[in-house]
Amino acid sequence: MRKMSPLFFSLVLVVIMTVAASGQSFQVQCPTSTITHPNAANNNSEPDYSGPTAFNLGTKGYLEPTGNVNGAIKCQQISGGDGFATMGDGSQTYLFAFGPLSGLKDMAEGKPGTQFPDVFNTTSNSLVPGDPATSNGIVAGTWPGFPLSTNGLPFNGAVGLAPDADAIAAGLCTAPCLDGHVDTRQIMDVGVMNGNMPAPLMAIDEDDEFFLTLTNVGQVMRPDLFEQHTVHFHGYPNASAFYDGVPDASVAINIGGSFTYYYLAPDAGTYFWHCHITPPEHLQMGMVGQIYVRPRQNRVTGPLRDALVAQQGDPRTKCDRSDILCSNPVPAINSAIRGTDKLGTSQKYAYNDGDGTTAYDVEYPLQIHGFDPNFHFVGMTFNPEGFTDMKDKYFLLNGRSYPDTVTPGPLATQTTDGLMHFSQPLPSIINIPVGGKALLRIADLDVTEYQTLASLGIPMTVVGYNAKLLRDQAGNNLYYKTNSITLAGGESLDVILDASDTAKFPASSVFYLYTPNLDHLSNDAENFGGLMTEVHICGSVTGGNTFGNQCAN
Amino acid sequence: MRVTNMKKAISQTQLFLAIMLAALLVAPAAFAAVPGITGPTFNLRAGTEYLTQPDGSAIYSWGYGCSVAPTGYAPSAIANGFCSNMQVPGPTLIVTQGQNVTVNLTNNLPAAAGNTSILFPGFNVTSSGGQRGVLTQEAIPGSTVTYSFTATTPGTRAYYSGTQGDLQVEMGLYGAIIVLPSSVPSDCTSGIHASNATAQSSSSLAHPGVAEHDFRLAAAAYNHPGACYDREYIFQFSEMDPRIHQEALQQSTRNCTACMTVATEPYVPAYFMINGRSMPDDMDPNYAPQYPHQPYNGNPHMHPGELVLLRIIGQGRWQHPFHEHGNHVRVLARDGNLILSSTSSTELNLAGPLLFTTTTTPGQTIDGIYYWTGKGLNWDPYGHNSGSGSTLPCTPDGNGYNTGAPTAINYFEWCQDHNKPLQATPIGDVAGGGPVTLPDPNIFANGPWFGGSPYLGPEATIRAVGSTGTTPPSGTIANSPTDEAGFAFMWHSHNEREITTNNIFPGGMLMMMLVDSREFVINESN
Repeated sequence: MRKMSPLFFSLVLVVIMTVAASGQSFQVQCPTSTITHPNAANNNSEPDYSGPTAFNLGTKGYLEPTGNVNGAIKCQQISGGDGFATMGDGSQTYLFAFGPLSGLKDMAEGKPGTQFPDVFNTTSNSLVPGDPATSNGIVAGTWPGFPLSTNGLPFNGAVGLAPDADAIAAGLCTAPCLDGHVDTRQIMDVGVMNGNMPAPLMAIDEDDEFFLTLTNVGQVMRPDLFEQHTVHFHGYPNASAFYDGVPDASVAINIGGSFTYYYLAPDAGTYFWHCHITPPEHLQMGMVGQIYVRPRQNRVTGPLRDALVAQQGDPRTKCDRSDILCSNPVPAINSAIRGTDKLGTSQKYAYNDGDGTTAYDVEYPLQIHGFDPNFHFVGMTFNPEGFTDMKDKYFLLNGRSYPDTVTPGPLATQTTDGLMHFSQPLPSIINIPVGGKALLRIADLDVTEYQTLASLGIPMTVVGYNAKLLRDQAGNNLYYKTNSITLAGGESLDVILDASDTAKFPASSVFYLYTPNLDHLSNDAENFGGLMTEVHICGSVTGGNTFGNQCAN
Repeated sequence: MRVTNMKKAISQTQLFLAIMLAALLVAPAAFAAVPGITGPTFNLRAGTEYLTQPDGSAIYSWGYGCSVAPTGYAPSAIANGFCSNMQVPGPTLIVTQGQNVTVNLTNNLPAAAGNTSILFPGFNVTSSGGQRGVLTQEAIPGSTVTYSFTATTPGTRAYYSGTQGDLQVEMGLYGAIIVLPSSVPSDCTSGIHASNATAQSSSSLAHPGVAEHDFRLAAAAYNHPGACYDREYIFQFSEMDPRIHQEALQQSTRNCTACMTVATEPYVPAYFMINGRSMPDDMDPNYAPQYPHQPYNGNPHMHPGELVLLRIIGQGRWQHPFHEHGNHVRVLARDGNLILSSTSSTELNLAGPLLFTTTTTPGQTIDGIYYWTGKGLNWDPYGHNSGSGSTLPCTPDGNGYNTGAPTAINYFEWCQDHNKPLQATPIGDVAGGGPVTLPDPNIFANGPWFGGSPYLGPEATIRAVGSTGTTPPSGTIANSPTDEAGFAFMWHSHNEREITTNNIFPGGMLMMMLVDSREFVINESN
């Protein structure tokens, strides 16, 4: 049975104006500088971490940074609406979904859509309905039209962003005056029916300020609904109720409006996000995404432990046994320094470990989910869905079932507007350079049952759980090796696949991740597929350290 | 046909929601604590009654209750405790480490149900009387069995029927036993915990002359300095398949002994409960008269900086991922066993994981510590403004919190963000200059637990947006802008379909954790 009729809204979810209206309904926010990041020129890249930030109590009455400004500003825009996805058996499934409204090029390539201000605050006059798929030349009838080139749409800025002509005319701003004003038509052109499964990928760095704008474009397939959508940053420590995305405890944006969520990046870890409106419905229907926070240690030069000790100099980044929720106290003295990974770039880590033990060469976010086709069918009609009998029949890694999990590039699906849309941007192909290590950032958002993922071949080393390093209060690592992990919806975990033994894991070998919940190795009626993907050991990996890269033997 | 179904669905939903709203409007402030009965001798009976559900149904159930009045009730700050002839969960048994515990169980189930019993996993139990069963000594219909054990180690544990558990536990025969440590480390009554106690006292400038009672059963969950806490709550997770209960009811009057044959598979639960109640009933008071057989609630409150002990128990047959919004939980112990990295009892060497989702597993318990401080939000959640009278000093301790003056209104404020604005333009008496522009309030919807502003506490909210906040009509919501204006965090099963009650959303395994500013006096006694 469904919920929230308009009458209910009039009863409970009352809206009032007590504050002067400020601006239009659709807008984006991506300031180039803030109190925390005062120098706009430094906010378009990640500076090295050189020590705890120095503060001074200025004339304004609050602390302002005066030295060692760490992190930068990141921005992203997403749509809240609906769309269609293609299941492993070829059937098309209706989604309540979020879609990308910034970083379109990166999203189409399997990367996070999160951008620095100098990229986000750019405009495009050439976007058309169905983008980025339309500009990339994907037309109906060519499905499954991959692998796809993204040369047709090099745009990573904010969809809709346009010069604020009124502000220019009023002398408040000089051209181009990109102050967050948007062209609503472009947002609707691109945002309607652009739902993705999983929802757009986000990645930020510790010390970043993150501005996430949710633009509610409505659900054209369900004109009977007046659904708000929200973003719940699942697992954020010391969250604010206001930006927690729970509609019962905060505000939720109506159709036709934008709401910008604001957070200073929390501690490094693998988090995830989802809509919190009627969760059994909106999560089952596909409003589930991934977000991870990269550690300060990725920006360290010199000994890692010294850098972790330096972090104790700022109470915000301090973490020791006096805080019962501290997960990465300083480890025993060691000589680990930050070197170069197998891709020839500076070493990356999952956490601020201070001993280099969470180093990896490639990283892949993997989202575990399940779809009940009956629920999705009823969800496309005007009928209420039942919750008690919910039974998943599609078991999804990054929104796809095997064999689609090993198809490179984004999946495209024709929707009711007759256009092809990129529906499932993320494959689940794990390319590991020979002798290297892969970090799997695994999040489970299933709403009905626990699922297990096993590694056939390469042992899993679990280094983090629920976005926290596994370490005791005395500084000893509590990592463990296993060949399977079991997660509920609402849990995340960090696994390192260590292929450094090149005798066991030589180049051009293939291993598998699959579920031992054997009934989940199916795609609805097909007794084949499901929660499974491939791990490739590559002579070399080019094109980046995550999805969209290429494996050469 | 479709239209008819739709109308029916809407009318039922609206009826339910209207009832829920009415409950919210009339219910007094209801908080939680860990209420139970004290021993060390407990005279229990297994009996039958009906449990109420928020969809209006009454479910025939079995449960443990008191056959005679118990020795006492705890915590003493809750005055209106009762232990009826049957309740779900069973009475929470509160004992102290080292006590010799005796439980006399009388079987008042229908004869057709046959024998019943209690298992106390984690204790070395001897039994007398009754009849030998598979797992333990059982009480035959109408008679009594006695279990005895020494509460050797502290912690939270489950107790439940050891007889035909697939049926009897499903029917409601389960409860919790809490063993308090025989001694409490001095760390738990000094330093920051002494300051937290002072902040709750009548000397606090946030509520001068009014003291918050201490609702703890003890100051530590274990005799270990890592197990100190300032508040505590218990959460017992279970689910019910109404078909099983209906078949048990139909067979309960059969004139024969141990002849009940109720299929417990296939299992399709429709009710998902915390402490025996579904949302929103779980947010009504402990011992509320409308729930004579479901006395315990789930409605946690806390102040920033307090360490909150969660006693989490899986009581049904399914696992439930219990997601705590707002922060992580440090797992202290599992099944009453502290998780440490060495055997030292004085060193801070906790080794349990930090979880934002604490999976409940049937028969398993977790003790964990949660807190919320607002650290690192990068804006002042109290809306302090250096240009107004609302400025208070914030002097950071070694961890960055304002703890030097326990009586201060802004005790335990995170100081690095003190006075730092959130919004680009001023709102009310709260300064502008921050990074964010909030949208026109006409284009968003407000929830019933929204405190009325982005700010914590009535003082800040009134300064920011006036006396009603942005959620009128004032005082008709569950988190009033003029009185509480807390930060509400949803705590719920993340198998999201379990936050429903018999196919209706919202319901089931769901509650709100309210983080309240110091001005709001938390009274867990209802």
